[in-house]
Amino acid sequence: AGSVRAQASANLRFSAVFSEQDIRAEMMKRFGEDAKALGFNLQPYYGGTLFKQGTELVAMQRGNLEMGNIAPQDISNQIPAWSIVTSAYLFRDADHLKRVFDGEVGGQLKKMASDQLGIHILGPTYFGTRQVGLKPKKRIATPADMAGIKLRMPGGDAWQFLGTSLGANPTPMAYAEVYTGLQSGAIDGQDNPLPNVQNMKFYEVHSQIVLTSHLVGFDLLSVSNKVWNAMPADKRAAFQAAADKAIAWSTAEHLKKEGELAEFFKTQGLDVYAPDVKAFRDYAQKRYLASDLAKSWPAGMLDTINAM
Amino acid sequence: MTLASPFSLSIVAITVLALLGLPVGHAMIAGSALYLLLAGQDMGTVAEQLLNGMYTNYVILSVPLFILAAEFMNVGSMTDRLMLFCNALVGRFRGGLAQVNILQSIIFAGMSGSAIADAAGTGRMMQVMMTRGGRYTGSYAAAVTAVSSVIGPIIPPSIPMVLYALVSDASIGFLFLGGVVPGLLMALSQMVIVTITARRKNFPVEEPVALRALPGITWRALPSLMMPVVLLGGIYSGVMTPTEAAAVAAAYALLISAGLYRSVSWRDFYRSIAVSARTSASIGMLIAGALVFNYVITVENIPETVKVLLASWQLSPVGFLLLVNGLLLLLGCVLEGTAILLIVVPVFIPTAQALGIDLVHFGVVVVVNIMLGLITPPYGLLLFIMANISGEPLRDIVRDTLPFLFAMIVALAVITFVPETVLWLPRLFGYKG
Amino acid sequence: MTAFLRRAAPWLARRAENVAAAMLAAMFAAFLVQIAFRYLVGLPTGWTHELSAMLWVWLVLWGAAFVVSERDEIRFDIVTGAVGPRTRRVMALAASLGLVALYGVSLPAVLDYIAFMKVERTAYLKVRFDVLFSIYGVFVVAAIARHLWLGWRALRGDAPATDATQATSGL
Ligand code: NA
Ligand code: NA
Repeated sequence: AGSVRAQASANLRFSAVFSEQDIRAEMMKRFGEDAKALGFNLQPYYGGTLFKQGTELVAMQRGNLEMGNIAPQDISNQIPAWSIVTSAYLFRDADHLKRVFDGEVGGQLKKMASDQLGIHILGPTYFGTRQVGLKPKKRIATPADMAGIKLRMPGGDAWQFLGTSLGANPTPMAYAEVYTGLQSGAIDGQDNPLPNVQNMKFYEVHSQIVLTSHLVGFDLLSVSNKVWNAMPADKRAAFQAAADKAIAWSTAEHLKKEGELAEFFKTQGLDVYAPDVKAFRDYAQKRYLASDLAKSWPAGMLDTINAM
Repeated sequence: MTLASPFSLSIVAITVLALLGLPVGHAMIAGSALYLLLAGQDMGTVAEQLLNGMYTNYVILSVPLFILAAEFMNVGSMTDRLMLFCNALVGRFRGGLAQVNILQSIIFAGMSGSAIADAAGTGRMMQVMMTRGGRYTGSYAAAVTAVSSVIGPIIPPSIPMVLYALVSDASIGFLFLGGVVPGLLMALSQMVIVTITARRKNFPVEEPVALRALPGITWRALPSLMMPVVLLGGIYSGVMTPTEAAAVAAAYALLISAGLYRSVSWRDFYRSIAVSARTSASIGMLIAGALVFNYVITVENIPETVKVLLASWQLSPVGFLLLVNGLLLLLGCVLEGTAILLIVVPVFIPTAQALGIDLVHFGVVVVVNIMLGLITPPYGLLLFIMANISGEPLRDIVRDTLPFLFAMIVALAVITFVPETVLWLPRLFGYKG
Repeated sequence: MTAFLRRAAPWLARRAENVAAAMLAAMFAAFLVQIAFRYLVGLPTGWTHELSAMLWVWLVLWGAAFVVSERDEIRFDIVTGAVGPRTRRVMALAASLGLVALYGVSLPAVLDYIAFMKVERTAYLKVRFDVLFSIYGVFVVAAIARHLWLGWRALRGDAPATDATQATSGL
């Protein structure tokens, strides 16, 4: 690393939880090549080895990272208004997500992040839509069918609430323990995007995947204001364009992979089907609006997003 | 990387501070702080890495609970009853008490995750029994206790496997299963050595225990014998996660010792918890120091550099495993096991992955290696403990462990080059590695 | 004053040990509650896990600051065990000075980080992270104080004892 420091270009330390084999690592590689032309040297650290999951935002705020792929849940930890984008059935798909962030609502959200956290958000990095995978064979049509199902959700109130909003009995469990948990019956199911279901081999211990599409999964590719503000306008535009290009490529790859995986899981003998998504959506949005979380949402934002 | 780079200087600082006698955890924290200072980075990162590392790693929570479980077992009379049971089974053979010592360690291994706990908990009693009436020399008794204690963390549960899972993200459940056959192989290799030596040196046999006494002895040892069944059964039937199993082990040991054997007073109970808290804090400091220093290693891309270097040597998986075995055995002579596990092993994990070596297999090989480091001089903790308990000179104990060490290295070679010895059982339980 | 301190110190050490033991006992209890709630009552809990993790951080740093004695700490004594008392004193002084210097230099940035963490709260119990993490500041200050004392003692003529069997990491 000593030789890296000797180069004239400015270092962009980037830390992410995903592995070096992930599509998003390739996205960063592509971004890094374009950034090089702008005089930046991207230094990526994958697998959460440099900063643990959920600690990247503070690392950016404190100047220990120049770039990060920040979970919206982490932002909402510090800016409660942001919890709106972590709610179930808000975005319909990757395209809807992109349009909202490109639009006025996105501008509002980005400004809050810039003013309060000191980070500039380049764009949402889609990594798949969360679907429910189950071990029991019980057919799921509506949230009522999920009653009593021990669905593993990530730890924390917000995630557990997401499980409740699907009608399930949410169970916190470490990600690494989910496979054995399913195998032994400690839990009945998990909710993750299909690529994770493949990476972690969850499909081996599932009988079915219910395409609830309850949460469009994304993080926010961000750069610290310190780096962003130091750039002249034309360089900023080029930097943003490089990010947009890399994100668009990654999103397309994820969508392609999700389509392939749904077929693959079928060939593995799994039942893959869509439930009554409207019933799920109505139930979940009602639960969210009645919760404390919704109190911090900016007035009218939900309707604006729904209308887009 | 030059000699005056922040990284080199921080390594020098850690080594020098540790050799000057500063606790290893403190030395790593101080050396990492020096790195950040010299590299012009935020020194608050020391606190950031330590605190978040300790707070977010779910699996380390089992470490203090396994320590607590071992304390509860040793304070009760669980181990005494086990000893009587083992004696009834194998005491009658030539070299009987030495075999009892090993068999007792196998059973103890199924309950405890710590080799030190085995030696410290049963060492004194075994020493008295084996040397009574000049049956065995003091150094031989001490050697057998030291080498058999090594089995403890190879057979599940296991504190070092928890630490390996921490640095590798391999599944603890499958690591635990992977240790069963290698642990038994280690024990077998020791029993073979005892059998050979017993014939040559005409070791004594114990008074055979009458057959009709056996059911009673077994019955009294049964609650202890059931503990591995409760733990592994609980994990694989989904009642608890491997991390939670540590708490169940402690609860079970407490229940048996206090409820059934009625051998635990309130005072004993408090002492067990206080001693465990003390031990947990000192091992916790070592883990904490390693977490902070790992940041330095990561920033400097050391694992990646090692991967590139080893790739340029074009090592085969077998060659790589040989190299790691040799290196770890050497390091085990001079370094503390936890430090090796937390600092040195992570550096090799990306290479193991790149070479297609199964991380559960690699983990078990690594743990066996580190356990052997507990009985290799000059720095072998089990040797120190047994020298202290037996009052025998370290040199004599070391001499008597050598045949065992040789046999165990042969067993290690088998485990290393026949991955099935490790992976067969996990695969039986659904592991797809 | 010194006489009072001499009597107060062991009393304080015992109370510090009581606290550490209570933290471990609470961790143990939280785990049992967690398993019982999930399997007997069918109510998975997340706060138990969070509580255990918080107690673990505090147990280690509180323990390292106030409970763990020089004899309990894990260290290499290959060199310290081989040299004479005079050399050992010099080494102990140098080690203590090294710790005091580096911990001292890092202290302002460390406190700054801890204070910064007021912006986040834990997921279930909503404990502010600056409160949770404050124990690290306590630990650093205690370590500096202890090593100032150890260094002074080494200077005055007490060579630290060595005993390899005491320091185990629980393997
Ligand atoms: Na033994
Ligand atoms: Na064990």
